[in-house]
Amino acid sequence: MRQRGMSTFGGILLAGLAGMMTAAVVTDWMIIDVQIADPDPMHIRVPFPLFIADVASSFVPKEALEETTIPPEVTANKELILAAITGLLDAPDTALVKVDAPDAQVEVSKMGDNLWISVDADDAKVRCTIPLDGVLHALEKWDWQTFDPDLIFDTLGKADNGPLVTVEVDDGTKVAVNLW
Amino acid sequence: MRSRITAIAAVAILATGFAFASEDTRWVNVKVTEHSEGTNVEVHLPLNLVLSVLKSVDVENFHRGHVDLDIDDVDIDWVEMLAAVKDAPDGQFVTVESSDANVSVRKEGGTFFIDVDEIDGEQAKVKVQLPVEFMDAIYINEESQIDIAAMLESFDKFPNGDIVTVESSDADVRVWIE
Repeated sequence: MRQRGMSTFGGILLAGLAGMMTAAVVTDWMIIDVQIADPDPMHIRVPFPLFIADVASSFVPKEALEETTIPPEVTANKELILAAITGLLDAPDTALVKVDAPDAQVEVSKMGDNLWISVDADDAKVRCTIPLDGVLHALEKWDWQTFDPDLIFDTLGKADNGPLVTVEVDDGTKVAVNLW
Repeated sequence: MRSRITAIAAVAILATGFAFASEDTRWVNVKVTEHSEGTNVEVHLPLNLVLSVLKSVDVENFHRGHVDLDIDDVDIDWVEMLAAVKDAPDGQFVTVESSDANVSVRKEGGTFFIDVDEIDGEQAKVKVQLPVEFMDAIYINEESQIDIAAMLESFDKFPNGDIVTVESSDADVRVWIE
């Protein structure tokens, strides 16, 4: 008599799919949006869940990462960098630096746990949000010797949902990196 | 009615909290106005941040807030000298008039004023004003290192106001505490 039900393989496949879908729903998504104006208008939108990028980065050969050398000045200033970020996190919200030049306006502000950078130049506008708590968390875990992709994912893991980077060039090109 | 009073009280308590939080933070401000290009740079940093960064720097002549003065040959009792300067009565201490610059150091109403008027070059006018209490923060150790971090730390007790202003044909600079 034929038994009704699900095969083991089907069950594993379905569970895997359900797990992937659940992870995709609960995880953060990064959306890269590129709009190119003339001469060939194009709009590319690439959404991808961060956990997939994190998993994919684990396939990068260890040797390749070990070959990337971190400048000794960076390692030597580890304590200084960590102190600066901790100090910034403890600081009240304010505009920290403003530069008003004939060809560009730059503002660096601290807002909550983020450092907000705004550059309005003649030919481009850039807005960038840096999650300070994420950067601190990532740097505290880092070995300061070789490049580690976890630096990026640990930083992004603490970032607020919303725009991370937006670039608008005067030729109409727009690039946006959002977390969702 | 009661809920409105509760809401007003909650807002008042929060506002007081924020007011005290902002009063606690002392800020180091720097404004540079460059004349030729018309560039303005404003830096507004919490004193604590500047201090924590300063205390983390360890380079050639700067060790965690201490600067090597390279004055081993000079035999000065810094403590005695600074105490004497601090306790001195108001008056004009130093006046230098030369073809390069005029320099004046005076003490007036609990504040030291150092004025330098450059005659040649960029014709810079430098004005430094420091509370007398600043002398207590100047410390030079046995290794002839001056403790810059301690000097900066003393800014915390300073009243709001200008510390250094520079006016020159190139740029104007203002450093103040608030």
